[in-house]
Amino acid sequence: MTLKKSIFRTLKENKFQYAGVIVLLVLAVMLYISLSMAITTLEERNKHFASDYKQESFHFITGKKLSYDQLSAWEDKFDITLEQRTYKDLSLDETTLRLFSKTEQVNIPYVAEGTVPEEEGEIAISRVYAERNGYHVGDKIDIGSLKAEVTGFVYLPDYIYMVSQLTDLLSDAEKFGIGIASEETLQQLKTSGQSQILGWSKNDVLPKGLREVVESETTLLQYVEAGDNPRIQFVESEIDGAKTMTTTLPLFILALSITMVLMLMKRRLDMQRKEIGTLMALGYRKGELLRHYLGYAWIIGLTGTIVGILAGAGLSIPLSNIYANYFNLPALSMFEFEPFVLVIGLVIPLSLLILLTALVINQSLKAEPLTLLRPKEMAGGKKSWLENLPLMNRGGFIHRYRLRLLVRSKTRSLYIFLGVMFSTILLLFGFITFNSMDQVVEKTYEDILTYEYGVYYKSLKTEKVAGEASPFIMNEIKVKGEDTKITAYGMEKDTPYIQLLSDGKPLNTKLSEGAVLSAPLAAVLGVEGGEELTLEIGNDDTITVKVAGVSDLYIGNTIYLPRSQLNDFLNYPQDAYTGVWQTEEPVESDDIYRIEDKQKAMESFESTSGATRASVLGMSVFAVIIGLIVLTLLTNLIVEENSPSISLFKVMGYYDSEVSKLVLNVYTPIVFLSYFVSIPIAGLSLEQTMNSVVEETGFILPTDVSWWMVLLGFVVIMLTYWLSLTLSKRKLKQVSLQDALKKQQD
Amino acid sequence: MMIFTDKVTKTYQSGEVTIYALKQASIEIPVSKIVAILGPSGSGKSTLLNVIGGIDRYDSGSIQVNNGTLENLKDRQLTEYRRNNVGFIFQQYNLIPTLTVKENVEVGQELSENPLEMEDILQKVGMWDKKDKFPYQLSGGEQQRVAIARALIKNPRLLLCDEPTGALDEETGKNILKLLKFVNDHYGTTILIVTHNQGIGDMAHMAIRMSSGEIVESSHNETPLDPEKVTWS
Repeated sequence: MTLKKSIFRTLKENKFQYAGVIVLLVLAVMLYISLSMAITTLEERNKHFASDYKQESFHFITGKKLSYDQLSAWEDKFDITLEQRTYKDLSLDETTLRLFSKTEQVNIPYVAEGTVPEEEGEIAISRVYAERNGYHVGDKIDIGSLKAEVTGFVYLPDYIYMVSQLTDLLSDAEKFGIGIASEETLQQLKTSGQSQILGWSKNDVLPKGLREVVESETTLLQYVEAGDNPRIQFVESEIDGAKTMTTTLPLFILALSITMVLMLMKRRLDMQRKEIGTLMALGYRKGELLRHYLGYAWIIGLTGTIVGILAGAGLSIPLSNIYANYFNLPALSMFEFEPFVLVIGLVIPLSLLILLTALVINQSLKAEPLTLLRPKEMAGGKKSWLENLPLMNRGGFIHRYRLRLLVRSKTRSLYIFLGVMFSTILLLFGFITFNSMDQVVEKTYEDILTYEYGVYYKSLKTEKVAGEASPFIMNEIKVKGEDTKITAYGMEKDTPYIQLLSDGKPLNTKLSEGAVLSAPLAAVLGVEGGEELTLEIGNDDTITVKVAGVSDLYIGNTIYLPRSQLNDFLNYPQDAYTGVWQTEEPVESDDIYRIEDKQKAMESFESTSGATRASVLGMSVFAVIIGLIVLTLLTNLIVEENSPSISLFKVMGYYDSEVSKLVLNVYTPIVFLSYFVSIPIAGLSLEQTMNSVVEETGFILPTDVSWWMVLLGFVVIMLTYWLSLTLSKRKLKQVSLQDALKKQQD
Repeated sequence: MMIFTDKVTKTYQSGEVTIYALKQASIEIPVSKIVAILGPSGSGKSTLLNVIGGIDRYDSGSIQVNNGTLENLKDRQLTEYRRNNVGFIFQQYNLIPTLTVKENVEVGQELSENPLEMEDILQKVGMWDKKDKFPYQLSGGEQQRVAIARALIKNPRLLLCDEPTGALDEETGKNILKLLKFVNDHYGTTILIVTHNQGIGDMAHMAIRMSSGEIVESSHNETPLDPEKVTWS
């Protein structure tokens, strides 16, 4: 059909407008495809790695070494596989390498490059740790008392999220890595080691009563089920969280782009109403005209989705690898092709676009040819009811004209409001997350945890602590009726090393009234200060405590109680402790199970948060791009719609700047209003998001909106708005006097 | 193509007042002739043209075209009627600005199962040399020639022209009239021309005069004037 040629020429003439909506569509589809395919790849790799390499169902650490017979008896009794594994933390330059003995039944190592270390003096290390620290296969590295050769790169099924401690928030492969070696190699190292029992059960059914049996026969220092192990679980939480993100964010952008296309189509049909009337008069059928005008939607839709799919599929490969490195997952498959994702990425945006555009076109085609041949103003002309308000008729001409324009184009105002709101929320999400990182470090590691080292012993101690150290007791407990595992700390109220704070006010003294909860735990349980909690331990003993306060401690599900009270509950001696907090660097000894170095944890957090900060910056740039496209498209349409008036103002002698004030700047109050309305919405929605995922992640980020965010966000949004106006002012300048007046005459 | 209008009435409501756009308009349009519909603004001449062309509906009466009537036709059937029988020419030409001369004419050509030759038509309207120009590159008279070619190419039996010279100067206007006369002579197309220009009535085979929606006079002209000799008003 010859008419088709006019589509391409119209698109070319208005390339900026149509390119804008195509870019929005590309962004939506690209985001969806890249994230979905990367997530699918990650999910598949995780699933296969866990099942093929027998990822542990649980692991535990006991105070004393267990015999082979003992383990064998438990295996038979609970129908499980148990395997003992030893490991040693080695200090290499500024980093820690955790070297494990090879296992054969549970958490079987996967060597991706090179060979499994068989001989004494051979090790295989994590690829991402090697890359960050410049180690290669074949290198000989000094691991303390031994020079070991790197024989390959290894992945462990229980260290997919490679964190040193279970309570660590962020993984940092530059500072912490894992490796494997033979038992003989480990024995050669003088550093003291740890032994843990890895457990695997069919279909991940957890053995009932095993924990109690172990506790009754030996000192149980740690018992962690796979579901509570962030090294295993975090990747699954991330997959779940990312799945929500892969649909929510692209859906928003898709909705925006479709709305923009519909507005453009409506405008195009209004501008071409005379052409449509002529074509109808000539004898074109409505179906033919519908198909013709749908050509715009097909071109926009197909270009947007196909480019989006190609870009998204391409982007998913590096994204999968970033995820894989972040999670230390082997590339068991390079790229998981998911036809369903491709179909959704193509079919949903395209069919929505075509269907809704068809409705808009159909609406215009309902008119009789004669109605369409007449100018629209004659066919109808709407006066808003708001114009009857006394306010609308006060003030000078410019004031009244601007107000009328504003209320007569309510739909335009609504879209500007929504566009600014979307950008503001995305921008503030970025700012809040950025700020939260600092707050978490500042409040958790500097204000609350004031010790330098946490020393955890293998067995219960009762002797007087040396020097300035402060003793504590630590145990895992549960809240009655809840599944959440909680780490309980029994501490001295007057310890200088933990300063429980809530909005800057100390809570330590409140320990005499009850327990103090970390912010994630309070969010998971949904409790506040003053409420009561019933705590229980494995042997069904319970204790009811009052929540004395919620501390600004953003990491971990922890509860703080007076040491004597927790000892009493655990049936330990009154002066018993399992660890000490101190400022002096501890000397390693056989009775120490783990040393927590706060500075290292902080450095690790700081170094890893760089990636988060970069992604936050990316999100802000994304917000600005979307805002700019939406606002420019809308202001462009405003110029187009008002070209007869603009022309008339120019004829009358108004300067371009004055015309711009009359027509374009009208929407500035809407931008202001939308921005300030969006601030609390952004804070609340981020808080809701945090609360909804706190159970999986075990941490919460403070969602306070600071004055600098409001100010900076305002500057960014106003600059975006200003830029969009500047772009549209160019169009306003191009409005020709004759052409616009001719349009009015028509 | 035989066309009879029988007591055709169309009203508009303006507040509480009923305005007659057409009032009991009855007329027989002779086949293969040029008919001029004359009258002042608001006399109903364009409305009469529009209802005959099937782009507007009427309240009562009947319009008979060949052996059928228009009043009972559904939208779809009216479209088919226009598609197969009618060509429209408007005062403002209504060309598609993003299509060239040839493409604008193709828009009409594609509607017909038995269209005329593109080159032949464009040669006849004198636009073959400018077939690749866009409307904005043409004068008003040239644009109207393209509009005529677009209407003619589908070989309609009825050509409806609403003030075809209304936006043109005398010389260009007369050239358009000559072209219409040529079309009538050459293809035997029935042509209805709505105009406020009294002189055009002299070149038509029949002149209908209208006032306040009523046909007040209809006269046949056995010796129509050559368009060149029309008194321009």
